[in-house]
Amino acid sequence: MTSLTHLQRLEAESIQIMREVVAETENPVMLYSVGKDSAVMLHLARKAFAPSPPPFPLLHVDTRWKFQAMYEFRDKMAEEIGMELIVHINPEGVEKDINPFTHGSAIHTDVMKTEGLKQALDKYGFDAAFGGARRDEEKSRAKERVFSFRTAQHRWDPKNQRPELWKLYNTRKHPKESIRVFPLSNWTELDIWQYIHLQNIPIVPLYYAAERPVVERDGALIMVDDDRMPLEPGEVPMMRKVRFRTLGCYPLTGAVESEADTLPAIIQEMLLTKTSERQGRVIDHDSAASMEKKKQEGYF
Amino acid sequence: MSPEALNEQRKKAVRLRLDGHTVAVASQRTGLSAPTVSAAWKAFREGGWAAVPVKPRGRTKGQGNTLGAAAQTVLWEALYGAPPQGMPGWSSAALADLVNVRLGLKLTQRAIEHWWETEGLLHAPWELNALAKKRTRAGRWFEKTVAPTFSLYPSAEQRWQGGVRRVAHPQRALYQVYLHGARGKLYMRCYERPPAAFDYQAVWASLPRPAAVVFHGALFSASQTLTEWLDRQTTLTVVAVPADIGLEHR
Repeated sequence: MTSLTHLQRLEAESIQIMREVVAETENPVMLYSVGKDSAVMLHLARKAFAPSPPPFPLLHVDTRWKFQAMYEFRDKMAEEIGMELIVHINPEGVEKDINPFTHGSAIHTDVMKTEGLKQALDKYGFDAAFGGARRDEEKSRAKERVFSFRTAQHRWDPKNQRPELWKLYNTRKHPKESIRVFPLSNWTELDIWQYIHLQNIPIVPLYYAAERPVVERDGALIMVDDDRMPLEPGEVPMMRKVRFRTLGCYPLTGAVESEADTLPAIIQEMLLTKTSERQGRVIDHDSAASMEKKKQEGYF
Repeated sequence: MSPEALNEQRKKAVRLRLDGHTVAVASQRTGLSAPTVSAAWKAFREGGWAAVPVKPRGRTKGQGNTLGAAAQTVLWEALYGAPPQGMPGWSSAALADLVNVRLGLKLTQRAIEHWWETEGLLHAPWELNALAKKRTRAGRWFEKTVAPTFSLYPSAEQRWQGGVRRVAHPQRALYQVYLHGARGKLYMRCYERPPAAFDYQAVWASLPRPAAVVFHGALFSASQTLTEWLDRQTTLTVVAVPADIGLEHR
């Protein structure tokens, strides 16, 4: 009997989770944030249901502040794969022109991401949503189950989670309740990169080091992605060789200086790094346990 | 086997290991012994690609030259301050003169350059004219942008190249603006924060005119102040080096 490598075991587990969701729920959807975890999740979904396309649409909750390269990549991928792509932008946020600069990261995230996601799930009646969160990203994600149950108001109760012994998932839920499902829960950032390398999965070029215009904000390197980025008086962005370990809204995502412009170089960098990729996310530093609060309010 | 050839094989062995091949296969394909392959892999795991080559033989250049604390203090204060009147930055000669005046210590320009090298401040000029023959992005950029500009500034004294960079220094917040004049002579200024529009204006205002500067490392088009100021200059042309054409700091 041949034994599976750890990546093959993770792949098999994720595929089993996806098939379980499709079998047990009525209207699933895959949250597609265009990042590397989404890329892996999408690849796994295509494998899980091949030769048919995955039997659920992709949902991108857009904030209007993602990197331009992400929008280009998202549209290219949707076209290539032939899956339905639903893009939802919170219309109330658009009306009030919510943005990370004048309203701050907390309000921007709450209105454009959390509320936007809840609106989209309600609007289309999705009862299960795949997300690409991993346990190694952040402490509140570490304790969340693979099948994370949400109330009709999309709230998460971290003290009331179901056991998942022997990878048996209890999918029973009350009407109007929904499930956030995290097939990549047990993957690490290094696993993701190795899998991308081995399976040759396309990812947004921002993950590779390149010279990009950046400014420093509270110790973080923020890329000047378009002319909406307000500069300090007299400030001139510097071109520095940077890459992103995580991708979100560009004013809230810190770059890291790096020479890693190939996948092996990124993997090697991962082997040496001691910090979580979410160190680069401004929204995670709002307050103590801010991610847990956001998750309780419905953030994915 | 020469150190260079050995290093190439060690890197090849690491690449094979990264691709999932066993030590035995990597050893067979590179001709290295299994312990050497394991040692190269271990070095890569602990220190990245930079750790894979074997240690260079002999002493490194300038290893024996160390400047005293007093001289270094004078040099850092000077670099963070304004350069001598009429100069775009501090040259090694100007710094050697300053140390002589302040401390009575006679240093050669080479000693200053060794110190620059130790502190990560030394920068070599690009061979811009060599780009003319290259059929790359850099070659096309030179042909379309730099060559027409240089044709307006025929003298070597009028042609400058430079840039701005953050230097990863263990003790200091260090941003450096460097300029190479005729025959690659290096001038520099240092800052504790990223240089602002007025810093660049001060550097360029001190250049002998007329002048053309090929400059790397800043997105000037994002600064309205700087763009307007540059538009008003009739005897100064600044050509920004595009990102990722291989003209990086070295």
